[in-house]
Amino acid sequence: MNAIELRNLTKAYPQFTVDHVSLEVKKGFITGLIGPNGVGKSTLIKMMLGMVRPDSGSVKILGLDMPKDELEIKQRIGIVSDDCFYYEHLTVSDSMKMIAPFYKKWNEKKFNRYLEQFELSPKKKVEDLSKGMKVKFSLAIALSHEAELLIMDEPTSGLDPVFRRELLDLLADMMQDENNSIIFSTHITTDLDRVADYIAFINRGKLVFNEAKDEVLDRYAILKGDQQLLDSDVRNKFVGIRETAVGFEGLVDNRQEAEQLFGNYVVFNKPSLEDIMYFTAKGGRIHA
Amino acid sequence: MLNLLRKDFIALKSTLWLGIMFLAVFSVAFIPKLSSSIHLVGIYTAFALLNQGTMIDIKNKNHNFLITLPVKRRHIVQAKYITAIVYTLFGVLASFGIHLLVKQSFPALNKPDYSVLDILVPAGIVLLLASIYLPLFYSLSKKGASVINVVFLIILLALAQPTAMLMNMVNENGFNSIQALFLMTSILLLFIASCCLTIYLFSRKDL
Repeated sequence: MNAIELRNLTKAYPQFTVDHVSLEVKKGFITGLIGPNGVGKSTLIKMMLGMVRPDSGSVKILGLDMPKDELEIKQRIGIVSDDCFYYEHLTVSDSMKMIAPFYKKWNEKKFNRYLEQFELSPKKKVEDLSKGMKVKFSLAIALSHEAELLIMDEPTSGLDPVFRRELLDLLADMMQDENNSIIFSTHITTDLDRVADYIAFINRGKLVFNEAKDEVLDRYAILKGDQQLLDSDVRNKFVGIRETAVGFEGLVDNRQEAEQLFGNYVVFNKPSLEDIMYFTAKGGRIHA
Repeated sequence: MLNLLRKDFIALKSTLWLGIMFLAVFSVAFIPKLSSSIHLVGIYTAFALLNQGTMIDIKNKNHNFLITLPVKRRHIVQAKYITAIVYTLFGVLASFGIHLLVKQSFPALNKPDYSVLDILVPAGIVLLLASIYLPLFYSLSKKGASVINVVFLIILLALAQPTAMLMNMVNENGFNSIQALFLMTSILLLFIASCCLTIYLFSRKDL
């Protein structure tokens, strides 16, 4: 079963368009939603949450239709964003009192346990929390109503490495329960290198791929070689290529085909998610 | 719905004293000078409270917060309209109570006799204003909604004198019960229509 099913989701803005995106987020796994800034990741998440109305297409979350079953869906999901939604002038405790009654499965003991674990004082005002603390607070709220699906929109942007690692450990803990699923939108791909099972890559409003992370990293390859190997046909084999006076470095999306084509004349390296994102976003030829 | 009203109360908890302050300031400003002060104090207090509530919502990106909770947009709007009624009742009834006290305690101010109309007329005006204000608040962007808040406050201040004159005319010419009933029914229908329009607009708004 899928935790999220998007079918032909489209939203047009004057500046860019989310273009017929169909995406399945598998239940029981962490899916990383990657892409450069401003390519439609947040818009996609907003459409999932009913914050933005799609021009066309459908959204199913946990087997239920959005927006028809919006209330039941939102009882079962948790949302963590780098944008703090909570009333700044309220204390952590007052915010909890405000939010808890909306959820049927609110677990106050669990919430208090998270506050202790995150070293969050219930008496502290939201406006006095650091960015990392605000994300921790959002996470405590999201995890205290037994959410089966965590939707995270750039939760680690602007956070220090210590907290980012701590957050990733927490997500790994949450995934001990195989009914739980996470979709994690970020442009900091190193976070996903650690925890993601699947990667969905969005570029210029289109879904480039949605595959198991290991398969993606096996399928793609970074090639390094001499300039003499390149002609226009060969260049077309690359998703993106960076050329210098002495050689080239390029990304291909079919390692096997590239191995047959280049044999031992080039060096094959395993790409990182960041490499894939960089070369795909840049595309074509990059001169350095 | 109750949770949404409760949410508003918790959000405003630290600023509830403002209601008392608005009452005090408007009472001091209008009671000694205007015979129709009972209406103005009620209208200004109620609308200032509504304004204060929406300002806090704007500042905290409240719509984005609410949309993450298990509530429908329709309920978010309905709750705000109910809150507007609560503010109206608070402002108008508090003003009525203060004026009854002033009339007894300071006969020299020569305040007129008050009737149920002195509750219904300002309540109707606040609901009328809210019927115009709330669709704008929910359909405009954050910046636009802030501008509307300021514009409405300026309009209210500018209309103080003409409103006082209108009230005097109404008091002098009198209102029969059929006219009053017709007017109140019209305003209530407008308020309900405004709520439906706001639900329609807000349901289609991208946040």
